[in-house]
Amino acid sequence: MMELQLNHNKPLVMHIDLNSCFATVTQQAFPHLRGKPLVMAAYNSPRGCVLAPSIEAKKLGIKTGMRVMEAKLICKDVIVRTTDTELVRDVHIRLKRICSDYSVSVTPKSIDEVVMDFNPMEKSLKRPLVEIAQEIKNRLKKEIGEWISSSVGIGTNRFLAKTGASLHKPDGLDVITYENLPRIYESLKLTDLCGINTRFEARLNIHGIFTPLQFLKASPTLLKYQVFQSICGYYWYKRLRGWEVDEIDFERKSYGQDYALGKQTADPQELSKIIMKLCEKMGRRLRSSGHTAKGIHVAVVYKDYTFWHRGRMLNEEMYSTLELFRGAQLIFNQQPEKKVVAKVSVSCYGLSTSSKSQMNLFEQDESKSRKVSDALDKINNKYGEFVITPALMLGMDNTIVDRIAFGGVKELEDIYTN
Amino acid sequence: MQESINEKVSMITKYDRSTGLVSPVKMRWQGRDYEIKSVSYHHVVKDGKKLLHIFHVTDDASDFRLRLDTETLHWTLEEIYDGAATESQ
Repeated sequence: MMELQLNHNKPLVMHIDLNSCFATVTQQAFPHLRGKPLVMAAYNSPRGCVLAPSIEAKKLGIKTGMRVMEAKLICKDVIVRTTDTELVRDVHIRLKRICSDYSVSVTPKSIDEVVMDFNPMEKSLKRPLVEIAQEIKNRLKKEIGEWISSSVGIGTNRFLAKTGASLHKPDGLDVITYENLPRIYESLKLTDLCGINTRFEARLNIHGIFTPLQFLKASPTLLKYQVFQSICGYYWYKRLRGWEVDEIDFERKSYGQDYALGKQTADPQELSKIIMKLCEKMGRRLRSSGHTAKGIHVAVVYKDYTFWHRGRMLNEEMYSTLELFRGAQLIFNQQPEKKVVAKVSVSCYGLSTSSKSQMNLFEQDESKSRKVSDALDKINNKYGEFVITPALMLGMDNTIVDRIAFGGVKELEDIYTN
Repeated sequence: MQESINEKVSMITKYDRSTGLVSPVKMRWQGRDYEIKSVSYHHVVKDGKKLLHIFHVTDDASDFRLRLDTETLHWTLEEIYDGAATESQ
């Protein structure tokens, strides 16, 4: 297998990360929250999950994934709030807009991270990238808010740029080149590398790799055939040396919604209402993207932490909420046991462009029902979400709240189109 | 403490032609005047085709989240926060 040197090219990939984004943005909007330990939680209740602690809360040891009550045990005065999703999305749009002033290639990696590739415009670059990075950091403070801080990393590939952005938080700016790369790896643990979790760490440990520097020195053959036992091993070999392997634009393959029940229940009627609302939200996104789906999948987490799921490809393409709901309910009814449900997820897959979908020779009403769906969507677009809803959803006003997906790059497409 | 209000309020605003910005200056709520010292964040949200301007402002004593409905031109005080920790339920 071909051995590679470290990438000696000029570092032209920049990764920008808003520090503790959800919390910092909330502190920007509410000045009295600044400088205080704050956690953004899924629910403002003791068992609510901490989604993002503020920089002040992180210093006290509060981490993402803790329960609100655990955060309160660490700091009894910690402030708990739920996320203002519209506010965070607006900040993301501003971040992307600012970055687009500097590069033709700006890729959002999540709601609070973007990657800018300056390679296509290398020859026209008149300033050093560090100067551009500093200017972007200043503009974020000026145009989004003075409380917003960001960490920037610059490298020859996305991985090194991301690693650079995580070296000094908050408010860092680091450049990783082939010259300082070994020294930086020396200061890190394996799990500090983006993409290496404790399981991969254990896998590397088994093969005598305990530090990022040992990981860098490992041969491509060892990584490909023994450690990762797949092409991923070779990708890691290249990635660690600063060669780009992550510049891939994944095509959307599915749309999905899920809901963790505040009031857990086994009542089929209640659950049916929730599935209907999930299908309505999912259907709105499916239709606005101009797709139909042939596959439907339902997953259920029960109160006793057991899990059941099933997916199925149907003969007909689904487009309207009713069609999706019919498919989801059919699968949901196939559960082997009717237990108390804690979380339910619905997704559709097998997407094709709706204009290309095959017309059904026998069911004449299909095109009518699709037209009705489109008309209902138009009314909801004009007058607000859920102005017209299926009767089954009556009385469910805010049962399924708006959320921002962790690392959900695909949901960002919805933001740009709205 | 964080408190949801959702009440209509009276408002004096200013428009700066050089920056093109409109900002709230003084709010009357429940018979009391609040002088707005700064706008900490402003953004726009859509409710169907209706545009709503959300202003996060402060009078230094408390922070307010205000909503301007561009269809009716009504101002609504949505939320008030005074800096104390919110009790979780």
